[in-house]
Amino acid sequence: MTAVPVRDREPAALRLRRMTGQVGWGVLAWVVGIAFFLPVLWMVLTAFKPESAAQTWPPKFVFTPTLAQFRLVFSGWGPYVTHSLIATTVSTVLVLALAVPAAYALSVHPVPRWRDGLFFFISTKMLPIVAAIGPLYVLALHAHLLDSIWVLIILYTAMNLPLAIWMIRSFMLEVPKEMLEAAELDGAGRVREMTEVIMPVISPGLVSTALICVIFAWNELFLALNLTVTNAATLPMFLISSVPQEGLYLAHLSAAATVASIPVILVGWIAQRSLVRGLSMGAIK
Amino acid sequence: MAGVKFVSASRVYAKDAPPAVDALDLDVKDGEFMVLVGPSGSGKTTALRMLAGLEPLDGGRVEIGEKDVTFVPPKDRDIAMVFQNYALYPSKTVAENMGFALKMQGVHKDERARRVREAARLLDLDEKLLDRKPKALSGGQRQRVAMGRAIVREPRVFLMDEPLSNLDAKLRVQTRSQIAELQRRLGITTVYVTHDQVEAMTMGHRVAVLAGGHLQQCDTPRQLYDNPVNQFVAGFIGSPSMNLQTVPLTESGARIAGTVIPLPTAVRTAASQAGLREIVLGIRPEHLHLADGRGDLAGDVMLVEELGADALLHVRLAESGNLIVARTEGRKPPPPGQQVTFRVQPDDVFAFHPETGARLAG
Amino acid sequence: MTVIEDLAPPPTAEVRPRRASRRERWQLRLPLLPALVYTIVVTQIPFLVTLWYSFQSYFWNTPAPAHFNGLSNYKTVFTNPAFRGALVRSVVMTATAVIVAMVLGVFFAVLLDRKFLGRSIVRTLIITPFLIMPVAAALVWAGPMLDPNFGLVNWLLQPFGVHHVAWLSTHALGSVILVMIWQWTPFMTLIVLAGLQSQPADTLEAAKVDGAGAWATFGELTLPHLRPYIELGVLLGSIYLVNVFDAVKAMTQGGPGTATTNLPYYLYQQVNNAFDIGGAAATGVVTVILTIIVATFALRMFARVFQFEEA
Repeated sequence: MTAVPVRDREPAALRLRRMTGQVGWGVLAWVVGIAFFLPVLWMVLTAFKPESAAQTWPPKFVFTPTLAQFRLVFSGWGPYVTHSLIATTVSTVLVLALAVPAAYALSVHPVPRWRDGLFFFISTKMLPIVAAIGPLYVLALHAHLLDSIWVLIILYTAMNLPLAIWMIRSFMLEVPKEMLEAAELDGAGRVREMTEVIMPVISPGLVSTALICVIFAWNELFLALNLTVTNAATLPMFLISSVPQEGLYLAHLSAAATVASIPVILVGWIAQRSLVRGLSMGAIK
Repeated sequence: MAGVKFVSASRVYAKDAPPAVDALDLDVKDGEFMVLVGPSGSGKTTALRMLAGLEPLDGGRVEIGEKDVTFVPPKDRDIAMVFQNYALYPSKTVAENMGFALKMQGVHKDERARRVREAARLLDLDEKLLDRKPKALSGGQRQRVAMGRAIVREPRVFLMDEPLSNLDAKLRVQTRSQIAELQRRLGITTVYVTHDQVEAMTMGHRVAVLAGGHLQQCDTPRQLYDNPVNQFVAGFIGSPSMNLQTVPLTESGARIAGTVIPLPTAVRTAASQAGLREIVLGIRPEHLHLADGRGDLAGDVMLVEELGADALLHVRLAESGNLIVARTEGRKPPPPGQQVTFRVQPDDVFAFHPETGARLAG
Repeated sequence: MTVIEDLAPPPTAEVRPRRASRRERWQLRLPLLPALVYTIVVTQIPFLVTLWYSFQSYFWNTPAPAHFNGLSNYKTVFTNPAFRGALVRSVVMTATAVIVAMVLGVFFAVLLDRKFLGRSIVRTLIITPFLIMPVAAALVWAGPMLDPNFGLVNWLLQPFGVHHVAWLSTHALGSVILVMIWQWTPFMTLIVLAGLQSQPADTLEAAKVDGAGAWATFGELTLPHLRPYIELGVLLGSIYLVNVFDAVKAMTQGGPGTATTNLPYYLYQQVNNAFDIGGAAATGVVTVILTIIVATFALRMFARVFQFEEA
């Protein structure tokens, strides 16, 4: 056997090209990643500054960190975050309760003209809810729902329902046909089929769907802004209001921004793939 | 036109794992059809990919046409490859698929079209298919497009990675002979990988049997069949496979099924030199001749497989109770349950070392 | 292989599918009804009400009750340069953001498709902007990033001769579009990345053997393969981006003047500043009609793009 190992016979030019290619690629990717992430970094950094350190020129990178801004945020955000939590969780539960049977009716045992049903739901997503905001306001007023958490719950449910139906449907389509046929042969009725065959298989999918709905409800501003004032004001409104007309509170708003974004960031970091799947309406697995 | 050489070529995937290909030495002559055959995991595909330049080498070198190509990228090796799943470009038409390599080489459009048409004709591909996309073709048609893509290149070496494995049985037999015929016509050196020993035997000028990354034997099909160099090759080549039984040695030979089969002196000497009390005895099914009760090996017929022209008898041997397979004439095979005896020519018998599997005095 | 002698007659071949009975058909539809009814009630009724109000003169801040005024709201919509301006701006903002985000998305996806040290970390870094609450992102960009006196961007661009630019005044539209791009590039990246990773490895190897270099492989094979993914990204991105409101509200409040007023913000202004329910309704109806036209094309594209999911 030839004594010289293969690596050492590699022509120098080739090795140089190969190594610089590999290293260069990694370096480029890191530079791009960090540059793109920079505003987030800056946001978190600024959140730990006292206001005096946030309003300097040149911008400060070294300073004595303080939790004062966070304390300020936590002392002020109480009702807002409560409303956000309620609106988000209740609407998400409602969405799932409505979407699961609907998705079932559009996938496993499809109704006639299921395609039309599907596209009806997607079309409601395409039509901008913003267009109806004026009359929505009037409607809400007459129904005594203005500035009530229920108006948000109702609308968030409607907002997320099409997405949830498409997503859950895509998960249901992945249930192996053989499993369903076996259940049918074993005498399982529709309900049993759902609870014992389908739900266990799609439960991770249900979690992803729920996460996506939570993200959209949590971040929603337009409807909250127009239809609530104080009794149902949500976290996004808290943020908007932390930009007072007079004076600059860069550190404070950074802290508020950081705190408000943490739940979604955590969710997104953990469930990256579900994120893609949800946003692409189940098209991308 | 060029020969191919593997010189001590090795490929290791994980640090402490056994090599996928272990110091392979193989010499493929110019214009030869060499088949690499072996079970999955034998390293045959890895070896092919090393030749293609799709896998780096961890030891040794690869030569094409006397030149060391170990560090030459695939496109500069002047090779063409047919992949197991065809790897056709889905967004391109059949004509574009076949002409792609030429396009990369800068060949003019008209010349490309001419060569594509020629290759299509050679492969019996309907001209109408040239404008279709791969997804509109049947499996057999796709396979031919994959071949056409390789042929159009007029390379020095053809590489084929189990190109028939995705076809149904009938199409496989048909295409097998077409490929062999094509290679004969074009005379291009071909390295062909398969796990099917029938393909190997019928198509190759020479066949290289691999197992566990090691080359077991490289020889003509005839030689592999008649003179296997070890137990693995003996059991791998031939269908139904050779009967292999571990049997005790006696003064004059090996004891099996109530009789002693005489072994040549050379074998007996080799066995005693190795200090063996037993050997693995190999007898091919067609070498067990039914002897109407006057034979030496006795047993009971357990199962009869009727193939039409022949029949395969699964026989439980007397004494050991092991099952062997014997081939016999198809007309009136003995029914299950009947006691039968066989006669064997001592020359038709193989002896292997029970531990190493090496052939004793081959 | 044993063959069991079956003495019973074989079952009748291929029972002709009978039409599902009325009861069965309703059983199939039942699970769909709650969601369907809910959606229709909550989305269609407001639109019907919007339609109703679009023909009324209804001002929230006057005691006069709503009264019918025919098509005059619509006339105002079409003659009002503010509406046309908002429409144009919406189109410009959406198109620019979608295109740039997609180009960047392809670039990032290609970067992330190859193995390198810390790849998953870089991937996480790249998708994080998408996870920031939109209002929060807008505020952070408006303040700590783009502030003329204390912002990071001005400091970073100093070596390039940039001095204390008031981005939200002089480059308001660009700033808002920048934030839109920043937040949505990760979405495009993830979709394109899914496309890249679904490319069969052996076609890429075949291209290598056929002599295609990196650029040729990308142009001839990868891009055509990515086409449905890019279409999906552009389609979905447009749907999401055309409705962007948070960034405008938080950064520029539609200004300076109307420089960054898009359709959603324009509608918001009509309701909140002008208290003009009738006008807002008419604007809303026109917006919906325009959206329907665009959406019809989009839906057809959607169906086609989703073929590859069904396949």
